Amino acid sequence: MEAKFIKCEDVRVGLMDWLANELPADEARALEAHLAGCPDCRREQAAVWQLWQAMGNLPVPEPSEQMRPQFYSMLAGFQAAEQRRQRWSAEVLLAKLRSWWQPAYAYSLVLLVVGLAAGYGLKGRQELPAMAAQPTGPAASDNELPGRQAQLLTLLADPSAVQRLRAVSYAEEIAPTNDRVVAALLSTLNQDPNVNVRLATLEVLAGLGHDPTVRQGLVRSLARQDSPLVQSALADVMVQIQEHRSVRPLRRMLEQENLNEQVKIKIEESIQTLSNDRATDNSNPQIYHETPSSPQSRLDTSVAT
Amino acid sequence: MLQVKAGQVEKMGLLFERYHRPLLAFFYHANGNATASEDLVQTVFYRMLKYRHTFTGEGEFRTWMYHLARNVLADAAKKDKPAAHHQDVADWAEKLAGGAPADAGLLKTQEVAQLHRALGQLSPDQREVLVLSRFQELKYEQIAELLNTTVGAVKVRAHRALGQLKDIYLKMENGSKVH
Repeated sequence: MEAKFIKCEDVRVGLMDWLANELPADEARALEAHLAGCPDCRREQAAVWQLWQAMGNLPVPEPSEQMRPQFYSMLAGFQAAEQRRQRWSAEVLLAKLRSWWQPAYAYSLVLLVVGLAAGYGLKGRQELPAMAAQPTGPAASDNELPGRQAQLLTLLADPSAVQRLRAVSYAEEIAPTNDRVVAALLSTLNQDPNVNVRLATLEVLAGLGHDPTVRQGLVRSLARQDSPLVQSALADVMVQIQEHRSVRPLRRMLEQENLNEQVKIKIEESIQTLSNDRATDNSNPQIYHETPSSPQSRLDTSVAT
Repeated sequence: MLQVKAGQVEKMGLLFERYHRPLLAFFYHANGNATASEDLVQTVFYRMLKYRHTFTGEGEFRTWMYHLARNVLADAAKKDKPAAHHQDVADWAEKLAGGAPADAGLLKTQEVAQLHRALGQLSPDQREVLVLSRFQELKYEQIAELLNTTVGAVKVRAHRALGQLKDIYLKMENGSKVH
């Protein structure tokens, strides 16, 4: 082993091991042997030793007080970020899905489904008049009538007043002369809770004034109406269709208590006109100033009153 | 560290308690700036977390840690020029003047500051070998692994660095004597 430290250059490098306390025992002895006979290397050894010790005494700053909290907040932030990333793994997604099935979420889901179903139903109904608007020949409409009537009758019973209004105007288009439709319209006129629906129904029925069933139904309806608007509109219709049988029910209406003043005047006018008409032998409809030419404007005047 | 790698990130606290001081010294000897060094230490621990999958467990943990630390130091050196080196040595010298134990007084305060300055004047490569060996107490073998070189080369470099340090130090001493 002595051969290892023959050259001074080797000794100098060996000194580094010696300083770092990494020199094996046998090599350390060889080094000592060289140093004993080499003053230059001894001087070198002393110098590096001094320097090495001095370096060991070099001050190192104490970690500041913020250092530890900073590290742990960094660690916590890292963990949080890590968890956020893991949240997207399939397993965590499943767990999340399970947590979604809480009563509140289930309730919302049920509401959503109900809403979608209702929306779908309404959409289907709105398509119905559009279907009716399609031009249909007499033969085709004969075939289609039963189905359409069924739809119409269903629609007349709809809880929504808007839908019933649609049904009424629809009835005017498709099958006004059908017995069942007329019966349904008369029933609507007498029983529908909505004044506008009753007025619209009356308008349609007034157009069917040539039908004896309609005329009879309208006369009977006089006693059943309680809305001033419908009452005066009915009175107008009686004049329009020249229904003399209505004079008696009209007179009876005048006897009602709490009858609207405007309606009273209107009924009296109608009775007068109908009586005069009979007197002039039912020949000249132009003398009836209260009788508008179209059902539309007649309705307007009645609403105005 | 293997536990940290396996997902027990909270075990990083143990590593911090054990190594934040040596790392602080490592950076401080390199740049002489205590505040900047602390930031760099935090960066090292952050990178340990971020790159924990690169720790294979084959080599010693400290080798891996200093590998990261060297990269952090190199990145920091790229960012700001070495002009900041050893700026607050004078501050430390003053602090030590008041608080140095009497039996440690082999070197006077002035000499400590001078040695620190001399260390700062070494080339980064030379200084690094000395710092890792003397202050971090890494074996030459570990340093060789870290620097991707042979043990013999590390020893030679350390020897030359020490000689260089001595020369610089003596030159400073002569210079201050002239004044």
